[in-house]
Amino acid sequence: MASALRAAILGHLRVPVLANGSNLLTPLWIHRTTSVRSMSSHDDHLEKSQVIDRILDIVKSFPKVDPSKVTSEVHFQKDLGLDSLDNVEIIMAIEEEFKLEIPDKEADKIDSCALAIEYVYNHPLAS
Amino acid sequence: MATPSRTEIISLFRSLLRSARQFPDYNIREYTKRRTIDSFRHNKTLSDPSSIAAAFSDGQSQLQVARRQSVVYSLYAPKIKSIMDVKP
Repeated sequence: MASALRAAILGHLRVPVLANGSNLLTPLWIHRTTSVRSMSSHDDHLEKSQVIDRILDIVKSFPKVDPSKVTSEVHFQKDLGLDSLDNVEIIMAIEEEFKLEIPDKEADKIDSCALAIEYVYNHPLAS
Repeated sequence: MATPSRTEIISLFRSLLRSARQFPDYNIREYTKRRTIDSFRHNKTLSDPSSIAAAFSDGQSQLQVARRQSVVYSLYAPKIKSIMDVKP
């Protein structure tokens, strides 16, 4: 929770720097300051690519799923032909992988890889 | 009891899987997961409301059993973890 607060504060602080300082920094530098929180010594937020890879691995290793069809945009029920029970199983596996507790209301909404990736990436406690 | 709705059934499924996580013993954890998945899948095709309600209440009593047993098992948890729990 503290890291989410920190991210919110840093998001607000970052805006004035880019507005008037961009001509002093090289383009490479701009990328560094926007993608890395330079003020935090302990960056505990996951990279989006890591999240995507881990979630796709979980979906691919599900016995009923054909691994070649899995992309980050697949819908569990429409594209992979799974049913709602399989949906719950996949979300359980995602919870265990990222050590999260997803409440039932949120879990019912997660229908596709894209939504799962969004949820995990935006969750402050994911690890 | 009236026929359970789809969300109630999904919620029961999820509660059973979550209760499986509380067990310190690897074997029982896996058994609980396997058994719930198999029985829910087996009963998926039921269409008769009374049999659906019967299966649902059966599932609920099993959930209570699992919750009680996870507490009892935790009291006497093995000191040495199962080899399957040790990450390589």
